[in-house]
Amino acid sequence: MVDVSQHELVPEHTVLEEDVLEEVLTEYDIDRTDLPKIKRNDSALPDEADVGDVIKIVRNSRTTDQAVVYRLVVE
Amino acid sequence: MQNSTPKDIGSINFGLMEPEEYREMSATKIITADTYDDDGFPIDMGLMDPRLGVIDPGLECKTCGKHSGSCNGHFGHIELAAPVIHVGFTKLIRRLLRGTCRECSRLLLTEDERGEFYDQIDESRKLGRDLNDVTKAAIRQARKKDRCPHCGEVQYDIDHEKPTTYYEVQQVLTSEYSQRIAGAMQGDEEAGVERTTPDELAEKTEIDIGRINEILSGSFRPRESQRKAIEKALDIDLTEEDTNKLMPSDIRDWFEAIPDEDMEVLGINPERSRPEWMILTVLPVPPVTARPSITLDNGQRSEDDLTHKLVDIIRINQRFMENREAGAPQLIIEDLWELLQYHVTTFMDNEISGTPPARHRSGRPLKTLSQRLKGKEGRFRGSLSGKRVNFSARTVISPDPTLSLNEVGVPDRVASEMTQTMNVTERNVEEARRYVSNGPEAHPGANYVRRPDGRRLKVTEKNCEQLAEKVDAGWEVNRHLVDGDIVIFNRQPSLHRMSIMAHEVVVMPYKTFRLNTVVCPPYNADFDGDEMNMHALQNEEARAEARVLMRVQEQILSPRFGENIIGAIQDHISGMYLLTHDNPRFNETQALDLLRATRIDELPEPSGIDDEGEPFWTGYDVFSELLPDDLDLEFTGTVGDDVVVENGQLLEGTIAEDEVGEFGGEIVDTITKVYGNTRARIFINEVSTLAMRAIMHFGFSIGIDDETIPEEAQARIDETIEDANDRVEELIEAYERGELESLPGRTIDETLEMKIMQTLSRARDNAGNIADEHFTDENPAVVMAESGARGSMLNLTQMAGCVGQQAVRGERINRGYEDRTLSHYKPNDLSAEAHGFVENSYTSGLTPREFFFHAMGGREGLVDTAVRTSKSGYLQRRLINALSELEAQYDGTVRDTSDTIVQFEFGEDGTSPVKVSSGDDNDIDVERIADRVLDSEFESDAERRDFLGIKTEPTNLSEYADDRLVEGTEVTSDD
Ligand SMILES: [Mg+2]
Ligand SMILES: [Zn+2]
Ligand SMILES: [Zn+2]
Repeated sequence: MVDVSQHELVPEHTVLEEDVLEEVLTEYDIDRTDLPKIKRNDSALPDEADVGDVIKIVRNSRTTDQAVVYRLVVE
Repeated sequence: MQNSTPKDIGSINFGLMEPEEYREMSATKIITADTYDDDGFPIDMGLMDPRLGVIDPGLECKTCGKHSGSCNGHFGHIELAAPVIHVGFTKLIRRLLRGTCRECSRLLLTEDERGEFYDQIDESRKLGRDLNDVTKAAIRQARKKDRCPHCGEVQYDIDHEKPTTYYEVQQVLTSEYSQRIAGAMQGDEEAGVERTTPDELAEKTEIDIGRINEILSGSFRPRESQRKAIEKALDIDLTEEDTNKLMPSDIRDWFEAIPDEDMEVLGINPERSRPEWMILTVLPVPPVTARPSITLDNGQRSEDDLTHKLVDIIRINQRFMENREAGAPQLIIEDLWELLQYHVTTFMDNEISGTPPARHRSGRPLKTLSQRLKGKEGRFRGSLSGKRVNFSARTVISPDPTLSLNEVGVPDRVASEMTQTMNVTERNVEEARRYVSNGPEAHPGANYVRRPDGRRLKVTEKNCEQLAEKVDAGWEVNRHLVDGDIVIFNRQPSLHRMSIMAHEVVVMPYKTFRLNTVVCPPYNADFDGDEMNMHALQNEEARAEARVLMRVQEQILSPRFGENIIGAIQDHISGMYLLTHDNPRFNETQALDLLRATRIDELPEPSGIDDEGEPFWTGYDVFSELLPDDLDLEFTGTVGDDVVVENGQLLEGTIAEDEVGEFGGEIVDTITKVYGNTRARIFINEVSTLAMRAIMHFGFSIGIDDETIPEEAQARIDETIEDANDRVEELIEAYERGELESLPGRTIDETLEMKIMQTLSRARDNAGNIADEHFTDENPAVVMAESGARGSMLNLTQMAGCVGQQAVRGERINRGYEDRTLSHYKPNDLSAEAHGFVENSYTSGLTPREFFFHAMGGREGLVDTAVRTSKSGYLQRRLINALSELEAQYDGTVRDTSDTIVQFEFGEDGTSPVKVSSGDDNDIDVERIADRVLDSEFESDAERRDFLGIKTEPTNLSEYADDRLVEGTEVTSDD
């Protein structure tokens, strides 16, 4: 089987630590559920990601080098 | 009006209305279908009862005492003789019938299941998902149950016959059970099924043999367990469907018993909406203000469609009651019930599929409640989201190259109709008086004044002098539009933001709006009868915003691709090409004439002295006068040569489309980005006027002779086409002999088609090349094609050489008659001619058959554009609706109205496409930017400070500030 998360076009997905998450939520003044969602069965997710976790995605950007996005894992 | 203070909306709740609520809010019960008595007075408790509000001015409302205009009207009600189903809820009713028990009305789910769905709803609500998905799943699961988990009652399927009939479908023993059993006992030799004797059957089913015989004779109906046993033994089906109609009253009883706890799982808030309220027992009657009657010229009253419908409902309602009291047979009652249901249904929605719409006497379908709201002309899209507005004007547009691109020519009669409000102060009182004293008819006049006490007075020819003397500080004057006022200008379809731009007014005679031709591309306007809309802004904030954000010059760069969308077009391009292509020379008079409409009023040093000792100026030098003094540029231009600009001097290259054109003209683009929008506006204005002068200097005409080629060339073209025809003939022969080899992945037929197409397209190209040879570089069509002004070499080829193959769906023309395209050809003729190859050129003229094929190809193009525009229009509408609530927040995120984050950074990079031009073919030129930054840093201390400080772009806010923006002199403040 191909592990798509290793493909060069798939950006890095990491599970956010709880304390960092708190900072992010405070920064944007939102609840966890206000974040964009990602399905648990998404193949780009790391194995340890669980429903309720928040994933940090770092994409390459032509204009800003790196674009960071957060998503809440849902079923 | 005075005491209607605006209020904040705290929250809105949607739910069903209780019958009791209808009665409470009702001003009167309506019992009679008559509207007016013989004297023309509304009948009490009729549909026009004065308690429902007033429409005739002068009358007083019997409920609130107000007069028409201030009384909003009051609802009445009709007590329905029998409950009817509300059409708006038929799907929900079906769902509830399927999901609840027919006996105890409880949800057909166990406590555990119900709890599970309850949790799911909670979660969905939190995640902002569609609750419908969960409730649908709950119903699906409940429907699977054959028996009620609470009372054990057997459940039946619910059939829904649209729009408002529901049946219970039960499986019952068929009346021909004995025949079926006997038939099955015969066996079937062919299928290998053996005969069954009654004894064997009795043994298999464990039913007494006597009973079996009784069943077989039809004198005993088998009980359910016996039926199942026989069915199993003989492998047959002994049931048939029996449908049992559920009357609205049955459904109402059923729903009344649904417990509140079960409803939350179905997404219904029981406190606000009990399901039995979906079955109407009381019908609210809209106030007369919602269905005003109109008096026709002949004095007759014409009632609103809703009133007509209500009359029908009341009539049937009465007949129903009378019949029931008279003890009419059930059948008649049911018929009337259905009729009542039909009228109530069409009262709410008259466009239900499967139901004939209720019609007016004239045959026109009635416009009832739902039709008032739905669709483009409905209340939402027609009256609320898009309404007709005051202070707007619409007329035909025409071009005026003497205007700046920021301006719009406004007809004087429009300017004196649309006004701007002047707040009179000590400083402008003289000016205000001047406007008023001119009266409403003379142009810079005034139409109304408002005194400090709030009283509005109309300015007339008679009172204007008098009124002018009274005008003083504190008054308001509605003066006419004058030169320099800012207005909004728009052309539909408004597909992008450049479809609505702000212009400065220039008042002009005649009846059309005038605009500079360079703003045609953003509006996609031409002058073949196009009309445009103008809106006069009515407050200072709007005017300021329009000036700063919406003015044409602020829209030079397109947010779509980050390059200029405004630039020289058509004749401007031809003109610039003529001026710069061979770098012609001009004497002093000519050079000054070329530049007469620009700011340049002094020529630079002559470019040289000619043989006669006269000084001359070259096209390059004339054009360079328009460039900023320190512009440096180098790129490959339109005609393929290098364009070199150094220190604001064009040294090399031809100026044409890619240099100053509308979509990404390099020089315009650079000037906009480096020198700002104001400089770019000046440049575009000047380029277009210079180009017009240049094209007039040289003269530019095109006629049929410019596309005609000598006979000798025509002969060569004919020969080429003859050759091609021969080649095609050969291919066809080879194909018919079976000698043609198919290309990989293609059938023989496809191969033949491809090869023919290839041969013919080569022939067309060759014909074109031959024609081309005879066109000089001075040929106007060539100039236009080369410079990118209009047309292409292909157009020229088709005009002079050969039009070529006509295609429908990318293939040669194959449609028409059986096995042939036209009756002029033999069946299965594969030749070029028979499949739409046009040998002639547009100049030589097409033969009738060629013309027909050409029309076929042309039609496809027309259909494609028609289909594309409607499809893309709908797509655009949906996109706009989906995205319209997204908003970039001050923290840089993009969120929707519920504060859910859509993007953490606008566009995921926080940059504006207008500010960073970069596409697939041009990355950001970091090096050049860095160079420029370093240059400015190391020249002097002053400039270094300038570099470190924030450099504010001079945004001059009016055309009238141009004189102050002379190159080199700093413009510091917004003026
Ligand atoms: Mg047009
Ligand atoms: Zn009233
Ligand atoms: Zn039950």
